[in-house]
Amino acid sequence: MSLKKYVVRRIGQLIVTYWAFLTLLFVVFRLAPGDPTSMYLQEGLSAEEREAILARHGLDQPLHVQYVEYMAQYLTGDLGQSFRHGVPVWDVLVVRFFNTIILMGLAFAIAYLIGVSVGAFIGWVRGTRKEKTGIVVTLIARSSPEFWIGILLLMVFTFYLGWFPSGGIRPPGTEYETFLGRYLNWGVAYHLVLPVLTGVIYYMATPTLLMRSSMINVLNSDFIQIKKAEGIPEYIILYKHAARNSILPMTTVVALVVGMSIGGSLVIETVFSWPGMGREMVESVTYNDYPLAQAIFFLMGSLVIWMNFVADLAYVYLDPRVRYD
Amino acid sequence: MLELTDVHVEYEMEDGGAVHAVNGVSISLEKNKILGLIGESGSGKSTLAKAVIRLLAKNGDVPEGSIEYKGTDLTELSDREFRTEIRWDEISMVPQNAMNGFDPVYTVGNQIVQAIRTHEDVSKGEARERARELFEQLGIDPGRIDDYPHQFSGGMAQRAMIALALALDPSLIIADEPTTALDVVIQDRILQTLRDLQQEIESSVVLITHDISVVSDICDEIAVMYGGRVVEHADVETIIKEPRHPYTLGLRNAFPDIEEDDQDLISIPGTPPDLVEPPEGCGFAPRCPFATDECWDVTPEPEEYGDGHIVECHRADEQELLTEEAKRKETWMDLETEPQQGVEEADD
Repeated sequence: MSLKKYVVRRIGQLIVTYWAFLTLLFVVFRLAPGDPTSMYLQEGLSAEEREAILARHGLDQPLHVQYVEYMAQYLTGDLGQSFRHGVPVWDVLVVRFFNTIILMGLAFAIAYLIGVSVGAFIGWVRGTRKEKTGIVVTLIARSSPEFWIGILLLMVFTFYLGWFPSGGIRPPGTEYETFLGRYLNWGVAYHLVLPVLTGVIYYMATPTLLMRSSMINVLNSDFIQIKKAEGIPEYIILYKHAARNSILPMTTVVALVVGMSIGGSLVIETVFSWPGMGREMVESVTYNDYPLAQAIFFLMGSLVIWMNFVADLAYVYLDPRVRYD
Repeated sequence: MLELTDVHVEYEMEDGGAVHAVNGVSISLEKNKILGLIGESGSGKSTLAKAVIRLLAKNGDVPEGSIEYKGTDLTELSDREFRTEIRWDEISMVPQNAMNGFDPVYTVGNQIVQAIRTHEDVSKGEARERARELFEQLGIDPGRIDDYPHQFSGGMAQRAMIALALALDPSLIIADEPTTALDVVIQDRILQTLRDLQQEIESSVVLITHDISVVSDICDEIAVMYGGRVVEHADVETIIKEPRHPYTLGLRNAFPDIEEDDQDLISIPGTPPDLVEPPEGCGFAPRCPFATDECWDVTPEPEEYGDGHIVECHRADEQELLTEEAKRKETWMDLETEPQQGVEEADD
């Protein structure tokens, strides 16, 4: 199969996946109990006022009409109006979405960089003390809850040593003109250290252990023996052949875990008062702000879908065998 | 050129014991010769080869013996010296399954270039040119050096593997069952090519196999291994026509001869010997229809029977009797029913 055909087919799959995902999202939110007015009922809303609110959001229409409108709306990139804030959902989310992406993206990039290297190394030195130590440390990190790691770091670096701020994203009162300017400054970097470190420690274990077992498999291959027999230096065999082949099964896993864990950012955001999407999600659900919650689920799901797409394309470049399946 | 003297190879086990995979092998190989190393699985033939090119598993070790190559004892070299001076430059290898012998994520040409440039200070272009020439020599379209290993057929991959093995004109090539995974016609052609090229560059080959018909075609000499020892070693003619060791006689029975019709294949009953605690006496005695008390008690020493024909057997001088008897199926059948000494003794 040619590369072009493969990409086209994969894009087709992407579209079908999106349709299924959007439909599921629609069904889930219509099945959920309550409507936007249920939060205000105690305040003595009259029947007419209630009807008016429902009509304003299009909720008095039959389901199939709602479905078509909903699809049309999402396809044009309109995520709807927030019930609670009374402004477009996107305006509420845009800042928080990127706050979360910055935090988790950085944590993941570092976690996987370290995890893959450490995993490759302990797979290579299999059967030694170094490997055992590596596995024990990794397992301790893996079994510590995120919030607990966060609290420990806060205790040591903020309250005891006083090196880093206890929360927030930037020093209070600072304003930035441009989008990039919001993030590319020392204030944000300073606030990022502890939450990112928490994520790195927590998410590092998976790639480490996966990479290790993948390495052990690859190291048993005949070609590793041949490369040794060729007199190629060990370190080149380690990174150019063993690690290079071991990383193949990692790409798929990385995509899945990265996508899903954006939702898991909630815990880190709460511990470090990070104004991200995870916290907004909890609030929107608490306040029955359906359009907002729906949009957040949509963004998180989209990340999973896109990460898988990217991983599949990356695989083509990493593994020549995929091109001809 | 290659001279092994009393080589032992042990694999250490978790419980502290050791598997004596190779148990005192002395053998020599001259320049420009092909030596066939035959024996059943677990006879130590691959282990012996790995010991020569220093690719034993981590728990493997050569505690005794010397491996002399062109006058240098290879066991004395440091890892670094061995890697830079011996590997591929002097001794290369061809693995059993060529498909797994190449790294799947790089092109075959790339990997040949890498091997050349690890040992020689040549430009990428020159190395590529040499890779193309090698492909041509082995009958592969040189245009295919930019293909990935999975785009090759089994036979072609094996040829490419041989091209890789020849890349630095080594003096010794160790081929570990290089054609086992291929069909008979391709197997034959590849072995012939290997033979031709070996003569051209005047290198020696150690060909490991369990198929006696494969070695008889292209080898100059054959060494038969059993239980970690070379039990018989001679030129091909002698091994095929006038073997003296009962195990070689048995091996010969187990393979069909195209020129004779109506033959029953006779297998050798029993299992390979215990290599953890090798018992006293001849390792083959429990499976040997001709074993005497002496065989059970005394390990036979290698003895020479004319012009380099070395046999480790107490009854090797009774060649005619053994040959006649070994042809009869009953000789081997009887053994299965008879109580076996040694094994049974323990219950008494």
